Amino acid sequence: MNTALCTLLALALAGSLPAGDLHGKVACKGVRNSADAVVYLDAIPGKTFPAPAKHALVDQKNLVFIPHVLPVQVGTTVDFHNDDAVLHNVFSPDACCSKFNLGTWPQGQSRSYTFKNECQATLLCKVHPEMEGFVVAVPTPYYAVTKADGSYEIKNVPDGQFTVKVWHPKLKAAQKAVKVAGSTQADFEIAR
Amino acid sequence: MRHILKPPFRPFGGLALLVGLFLGLATPLRAYPIFARKYQTACNTCHTVYPKLNPFGQAFRLNGYRMPKETEDLVKQVPVSLGSPAYAKLWPNAVMPSQLPGNAPLAMNVKMESVSTSAYDPASGKTTTHNDFQFPQEANLFGAGTLGDHMSFMAELTFGENADGSTSTEIEHARLDFDSIAGPDHLVNLRIGKFAPNLYDGFQEMWLMTDNGVDTMFTYNPVGYRGGVGSGADDAATPIISLPGRVRGIELYGVAGHRFFYTLGLMSKIGPGGYSGAYGGATPTSPNGNFGNNTHKDFYARLDYKFGGMGLDGDTEGVKLPPENWRENSFRVGVLGVSGNGRDINFSVADDLGNPFNMQDVSYTRAGVFASWLFHDLNVFGVYLRGNDKLQLLDPVSNLVLDENTRSYNTWFTQADYVINPTFLASVRYERLRPADPTVKAERFLNLNFTYLVYANVKAMLEFREDLNETRNKQLAIVLRAAF
Repeated sequence: MNTALCTLLALALAGSLPAGDLHGKVACKGVRNSADAVVYLDAIPGKTFPAPAKHALVDQKNLVFIPHVLPVQVGTTVDFHNDDAVLHNVFSPDACCSKFNLGTWPQGQSRSYTFKNECQATLLCKVHPEMEGFVVAVPTPYYAVTKADGSYEIKNVPDGQFTVKVWHPKLKAAQKAVKVAGSTQADFEIAR
Repeated sequence: MRHILKPPFRPFGGLALLVGLFLGLATPLRAYPIFARKYQTACNTCHTVYPKLNPFGQAFRLNGYRMPKETEDLVKQVPVSLGSPAYAKLWPNAVMPSQLPGNAPLAMNVKMESVSTSAYDPASGKTTTHNDFQFPQEANLFGAGTLGDHMSFMAELTFGENADGSTSTEIEHARLDFDSIAGPDHLVNLRIGKFAPNLYDGFQEMWLMTDNGVDTMFTYNPVGYRGGVGSGADDAATPIISLPGRVRGIELYGVAGHRFFYTLGLMSKIGPGGYSGAYGGATPTSPNGNFGNNTHKDFYARLDYKFGGMGLDGDTEGVKLPPENWRENSFRVGVLGVSGNGRDINFSVADDLGNPFNMQDVSYTRAGVFASWLFHDLNVFGVYLRGNDKLQLLDPVSNLVLDENTRSYNTWFTQADYVINPTFLASVRYERLRPADPTVKAERFLNLNFTYLVYANVKAMLEFREDLNETRNKQLAIVLRAAF
């Protein structure tokens, strides 16, 4: 009886059941492949999500930001690690992350930045102007990045009606309402 | 004191003139396999038969070597980043980002030509025939491409071998374009360098399928004791003022509303190349189209409108086009003009008795109409051009003006190109030039061409050209060209 009550209480607190996953494909028109689109659930009214304690990581290796696109939940601290034998810098020209500039540091060291707001932050390196990466801070823990074929999967999505957004470094963002019930498919097409 | 201008002084003999016309003015090669590599596409995506552009190729050219509505996935050679695009947000605190072509944007063209020339010399009454293997006649090294979203470039270095065994090298083109720099895409583009101006879009030699260019249009020499007497040659001992095929200048051009084309340009004056001496001197140091040696700059303009077919920027909204990309039903019409000043440039002329004078073309205008009708497999196009030259006759010692007259000439040509099928094409052109000197007969030429496109990048041509006034003056050329 106590167990049943606890279960009911937990369900009531959650508001919905973690019933399945959201998956599908994003067709990215006009770019070489459909990788690097971020698919995420927009803010859910009445719901807040604590900032994750675990840091995310962006590596700088062979003069490339790895991963090229990193989605994180708002409040996440991202560590920027220099894995090259040359000095690297990380800064962003975007106001949503206060145009941070973490300075310059050598191989083996890291600098960190906490993304406190929703943001599509461009990562640049003053030492190597061709380097470019992105941190996309989203309001929920439900997000994924597409593979080259455009496929994505967001696990443990509760059932319910949500606004699902898609962001891409080069293409226009898109969104649509999706009713998630168990394993749900939602496909998108984005272009310039 | 007014001098009556007398019969013309011919700056060079008839034979030399014809040899110059037939041998020295053959069309340079122009096709850029650089773009075939960049887009991994065949030459005939843009060319009906290179270098003649089809409507898509014309749009590609006017768009600064970009495909209409180009997207990243169309470009198969990934460009080299010269800065992340996000650096644009930081300008001017950071250098504006750009790109380099992924591979060295170079291509070669070679041209082999077997030329048989028959030329009649009225002085001796003899007809001279000449068969010449010009293997190679010339080779061209091209560089062309885009630098990011708003710049493009083109350069051409030509290596030529002459019949006498001498060789020549020339930078035929070297230009930088700033593309779509204001307003809607393709509306405002700026070009600087040495180039074939858009003033001649569609009829300059670099856009013709024939081996011979329209010499009567571009090599007329307006300077003569009674006005110009006919075509000259840009490597002749006496320089010419005409309509330079290539210019050194600055040009603004663009496409508005998909169908309206304009160009405005400022170029080094037409006239002799670099000439030594205070008044032009006597020693040419560079051919026509190169630096002029006075401070005047000539102005040119052209306005066109295209009815039907693909838009000039490649727009196809609401247009039905057949899959054969050389076909469409369209009509393009344009007006063009040049205004210039050749003051202080002396040319040598002589009267009937051989008395020498200096002559200056102190003011000149060229005004013309261009039309091109494309119907199914047939393209008929042509230009009518009228020129006025204010010629001053000067004392060769004191350089005082002895006489001044305004002389007029007109020239026109019409050409019909026909695609028999994608492999075989034919062309016929008639040219007529009415020189300013009224005592000189109008020049008339017939040019026939049959082209076999062996591969998309290799073609063989049989071309015949005849002087209709003197049918003993003719040329038959067998040409093999390859671009790679």
